[in-house]
Amino acid sequence: MKKNMKTIYTIIICLLFVTVNNAQERFLTKNGSISFFSSAVVKDFKADNNQVLSIIDAGSGQMAIAILMKSFMFEKALMQEHFNENYVESDKFPKATVRGDIVDFESITDLETKAEVEGVISIHGVSKEIVIGANITKSEESIFVKGEFNILLADYDIEIPRVVSKSIAKKIKVTFDFNHKPYKK
Amino acid sequence: MKKNKIVIVILIVGFVGVFVAYKMYNKPHVNVVETKSDITLSASKILNDFSTDENAANKLYLEKIIKINGTISELNIEKERGIITLKTRDNFGSVLCHLSEGGMKKMKSLKVGQTITLKGICTGFLMDVILVKCEIIS
Repeated sequence: MKKNMKTIYTIIICLLFVTVNNAQERFLTKNGSISFFSSAVVKDFKADNNQVLSIIDAGSGQMAIAILMKSFMFEKALMQEHFNENYVESDKFPKATVRGDIVDFESITDLETKAEVEGVISIHGVSKEIVIGANITKSEESIFVKGEFNILLADYDIEIPRVVSKSIAKKIKVTFDFNHKPYKK
Repeated sequence: MKKNKIVIVILIVGFVGVFVAYKMYNKPHVNVVETKSDITLSASKILNDFSTDENAANKLYLEKIIKINGTISELNIEKERGIITLKTRDNFGSVLCHLSEGGMKKMKSLKVGQTITLKGICTGFLMDVILVKCEIIS
């Protein structure tokens, strides 16, 4: 008898778990922002992309981000052209992606919490493991993720011609800002 | 006397060089309003092209000025920027049109369900086809 009760309890607990898991949905944004900034001797430059797709699975804390390289808008048309044609070769590599896990996702609350995203980033056809620090705010209606990190151009085989190498920093500061909403089909 | 002439010629060539370089450096962005569109098609067609063969569609549409028509399924303003979502026959994907500043001014008069023609620059396909710097044509 006792054994039977135990099995029933296990089943009930399992069922509860399943329903809880079902309730935790996916959160998504189709217009996240990413900007990058480089300070250099000749001129600082900055580019913005407001069409970033980012998805968080609220059950597991997994995160996936996709970025269109051609969506980066520069102040100068010439810079945008050089960026797409010579540096990131966006015809060959039209997208950059990040796939990762938000560490300790369950402990994040509706107050801004410092967290880390561990995963793989790929830019210009080169994939690298990365840990990105972020500030995350989580509630039922939204998951807000923002932060900044630096990337080294050389890590992604992005070559800067020697003529202009002084005017472009080797290290680029990237800032991001995603406001995820529950995904309804 | 001859020396002076050479100096003047060098100076002129120098000035022209600097001027051309300056012009190139400040080359303006494509003016979507005034430039004729390269391609005209419907929202369903462009989404279908991207979801069947993304590489081929990238070659056809990326960085092109595209005139697109469709039915509005959503009107959003995020961070003071207007975004119009166009319905397609596909249930999952749509066409996202990010408006220019000029386009945003005309956004107020629009309603969900209305058919619309927009002109913008295609930057690619994620879950949806994305157009930026869109202008509202009609």
